[in-house]
Amino acid sequence: MTFEEVFFYFLAAGAIVSALLVITRRNPINSVIFLVLNFFFLVALYLTLKAQFIAIIQILVYAGAIMVLFMFVIMLLNLGDEKRLTDRVTWKQFVAIGLSLAFVMQVLYIVGFGETAEMKTMSAKAVDIGTVEYIGKELFSYYVLPIEAISVLIVAAVVGAIVLAKRKFD
Amino acid sequence: MIPLNFYLVLSALLFTIGVVGVLTRRNAIIVFMSIELMLNSVNLTLVAFSSFLGDATGQMLVFFVITIAAAEAAIGLAIIIALFRNKQTVNIDEINLLKW
Amino acid sequence: MAEHILESISLFLPEIALTVTLCVAIIADLILKERNQNVAYVVIAGLVITTIFVLRQTGLTETIFSDMVAVDPFAVFFKIVLAVSGFFIVFFSMKCRELDANKKRIGEYYMLIVAMMLGMFIMVGATNLLLMYLALELSSIASYILAGYTKRARDSAEASLKYVIYGAVSSGMLIYGVSILYGITGATDIYGVNAALQTGDFSPLALLTAGILIIAGFGYKVTVAPFHFWSPDVYEGAPITITAFLAVASKAAGFAMMIRFFKVSFIDTALLDTAGVWDIVEGFQWNIILAVMAVLTMTLGNLVAIWQNNIKRLLAYSSIAHAGYILMGLVVLTDQGIASMMLYFVMYLFMNFGAFYIAMLISNKLDTEDIEDYKGLGYRAPLVCVAMAVFLISLTGIPPTAGFIAKFYLFAAVISAGWYGLVLIAAINTVISLFYYVRIFRNMFLIEPEGDTSKIEFSLSSKILVFALLIPTIFFGVYFRDIVDLAQASVKMFGL
Repeated sequence: MTFEEVFFYFLAAGAIVSALLVITRRNPINSVIFLVLNFFFLVALYLTLKAQFIAIIQILVYAGAIMVLFMFVIMLLNLGDEKRLTDRVTWKQFVAIGLSLAFVMQVLYIVGFGETAEMKTMSAKAVDIGTVEYIGKELFSYYVLPIEAISVLIVAAVVGAIVLAKRKFD
Repeated sequence: MIPLNFYLVLSALLFTIGVVGVLTRRNAIIVFMSIELMLNSVNLTLVAFSSFLGDATGQMLVFFVITIAAAEAAIGLAIIIALFRNKQTVNIDEINLLKW
Repeated sequence: MAEHILESISLFLPEIALTVTLCVAIIADLILKERNQNVAYVVIAGLVITTIFVLRQTGLTETIFSDMVAVDPFAVFFKIVLAVSGFFIVFFSMKCRELDANKKRIGEYYMLIVAMMLGMFIMVGATNLLLMYLALELSSIASYILAGYTKRARDSAEASLKYVIYGAVSSGMLIYGVSILYGITGATDIYGVNAALQTGDFSPLALLTAGILIIAGFGYKVTVAPFHFWSPDVYEGAPITITAFLAVASKAAGFAMMIRFFKVSFIDTALLDTAGVWDIVEGFQWNIILAVMAVLTMTLGNLVAIWQNNIKRLLAYSSIAHAGYILMGLVVLTDQGIASMMLYFVMYLFMNFGAFYIAMLISNKLDTEDIEDYKGLGYRAPLVCVAMAVFLISLTGIPPTAGFIAKFYLFAAVISAGWYGLVLIAAINTVISLFYYVRIFRNMFLIEPEGDTSKIEFSLSSKILVFALLIPTIFFGVYFRDIVDLAQASVKMFGL
């Protein structure tokens, strides 16, 4: 095994274990910490894929902003440990989980043994397209409409969050 | 070099962990964290495809997915706060998610 | 590039007008302070300007912003439907007593309605999966907030939470499907996707997975089974104006996006003939999946509606059932099917808004949403109840109402494509739906009022609004040639 492979397996194992820890912790604070850890593993994976810009905003936006928001709400509501992790699993949930597992099997089959497996090497262009310059240029030429649309979305979300969470309007 | 399908398998697994979290946990905040896990696994798929195809579209999508995830999390947490004020709980026992 | 963007802007005026309306609404809310219910007039003015810009786009067939958005007859048709429903919702909101408890926040309420409309306007025109996802999220995020607007309501926050969780999971599935489709085809632009799929160089199983995930994401927006679970609770918990808006406009926009996505990406353009019958690309029989979903949706919606006592919940299930009927038009893969879906939306707009509006008027006066409390209302408020009866007859699909014409054209399209079994199931469902519509009718007219028997008076403006919905419902049932022609002419999409 080359160093590259060892590094990938380390990151992949880290990402999966931390994700499992997120959904199995009783205390939500612990879940947040493990989710942040999961994001750091993902950032390293993005770097192995030569996507520098995405790696940076993953840290800045996800770990830096969204998770702080989660942490803030958990602290604000002063949540303790949960007594039971889940309710009694109903047959509907059972069916849903069964279906999602079947789905994973399908995806694993497709990507693991199917025809997409033929892509073994990264494109030579990968280094260029991951940079801030390239993404910036694309964003403000071809993607100018989506970026304007998302600004409206954020305005709506900000107004909405205030409206919903504000205690009194009188 | 790591082949593309390693990344895809990893992200499919992460996606499933997220789905299972959504379906089984009672705490609404953890449910939202599981949704973040799902979106992150999608991002991994997109970045992997983008790098292997040598096409920037995938990374553009990731940029927008991250923004939308932030907006959704903000709205979701605001609703959780509103719910907490009414009921003093963030558990979704009564909110049976698969009711007819 | 800069010239292209400037050119594009000149064809993007309706959406820009909505964006400006949104900004003006926020500012007006700040300036007007105590009189902020007047923001409604700002929004109406904005909608008038938007409608004018939309009407000026008739006949164009172009794409703008580097193939992100198409301006074609199909989009213009749906934009008109959306604009008309926007007008009705603003008028309803001005009358709705349920919103009075939140007077202080009514400015934000109107602003979010405009944001939702903007999202839906972009949805009907989007030709890029990235923009489709974004527009869907814009309209969803605005509707999450609006669904939880009245905190008074028993389960409003819970309904809203359920809505957000469902919406976030479904959009997660949608974007996962998009990512796989992007991996297969290397494109997010639906024309590029189509071109790549026609070369046939991909794994069919991967395409199937992507397709099912994308159907799940769209299915949530248009509430077809098995992705409808959120809708009864959300429809019941949300303010009735928002329920009506979700049941009509949001569904129309979702279906428009779905039609465009399937019709452009998954058909074999080489086999496209002039008669408007299309063929699917090899490897993914999506119309079979949709046919099963249509059957499930209408059967489930109608059967569960029979047991409902809350009028909002009943209308929610009824609108799920209607989504099932409408979905049949996409299954048959003909332009005739698409045209009949578009016709259905026009008719559905008037009759469904009518039913919701009268439910709202009654709830304003009697403060009840229980159908049992409708007993004897036919004697106490004859005009409104007769109108309700017409809307219910129309929703069932009995002549001479708009609903009959809509169903007639839809069933005819399905029959002429040879899907007899599907039409048979739909016809049986129509009979089932009679049970619960008749129940409202019976409570209103055939049972004598108990207790309070005083007449209920409605204001003149309420009556005008009832007539504005009632007249088209009857008129389109008698004279429908022009609207049918319009729908058939509007099937034309860019690139096909």
